Amino acid sequence: MGLTLALGLIFGALALASALAVVVTRHAIHAALWFITHLLCLACIYGLLNAPLLAVLQVMVYAGAVMVLFLFAIMILDASVLPPLPQAKGTLQALAGVLGALCLLAPGLAWLLLEGRTLDLAMPAAFDPGSTVAVARVLFGSYLYPFELVSILLLVALIAIMVLASRKLDSAEGRP
Amino acid sequence: MSLGFIFLLALLIFCTGVAGVIIRRDPIVLFICIEMMFNAANLAFVGIARATGLIEAQAIAFLVIAVAAAEVAVGLAIIIAIFRGQHDADVDHVSSLKG
Repeated sequence: MGLTLALGLIFGALALASALAVVVTRHAIHAALWFITHLLCLACIYGLLNAPLLAVLQVMVYAGAVMVLFLFAIMILDASVLPPLPQAKGTLQALAGVLGALCLLAPGLAWLLLEGRTLDLAMPAAFDPGSTVAVARVLFGSYLYPFELVSILLLVALIAIMVLASRKLDSAEGRP
Repeated sequence: MSLGFIFLLALLIFCTGVAGVIIRRDPIVLFICIEMMFNAANLAFVGIARATGLIEAQAIAFLVIAVAAAEVAVGLAIIIAIFRGQHDADVDHVSSLKG
């Protein structure tokens, strides 16, 4: 249990640091690469939390497929180097962002401190190697309809992207 | 590792994503920050699954990943359709509904 805690602290700190780096860095490509680091750290935490299926999916779907899409979009838009903000606007925007995040953070922290004491927060120590089988039973049992709906959603998204892309080709010359 | 630690980490990551959405103005990084918030919610779900033994929470996290992938694909297609050919991609400059 001590090793789990140590690894959790290390990966948690890395995940948080890379999340901050995504927000702070000026290059879009750097942001995407830091986000991949963030996703890999979260996958490690999923592994520690006895969710091996989600850890693998996080690496394959998120750090693989989704981030390839992001890098593709960055290169198509040629948005790797961002123009600097005007000084006053940048400072105001950063201030607004920090204040907004703190407004959300404060009630959450208060809830954790007040309610967290009465909540049973300790994790069970046993590791269950059959958790993937259990997830599959739930997913293809009581969650079958949501699962099928998600597959229809993916199909609709595919068709929508094709429509968007073909319309863009038709009217590519008409854009100012 | 306790559920409180996982909740605290998810809360901090979510608030980082919110700050990123407010601070950044280029559409791609803004979108990455939205994905960060999805991931914070997923982390909380997985923590709940581990602490309470409710394996349904992992199934929900699975569905969230699938929906987020669909959302990313459509969103990036829209962003490319809007911002292609413009050199300073800035969400503040988008003011027309009809392209």
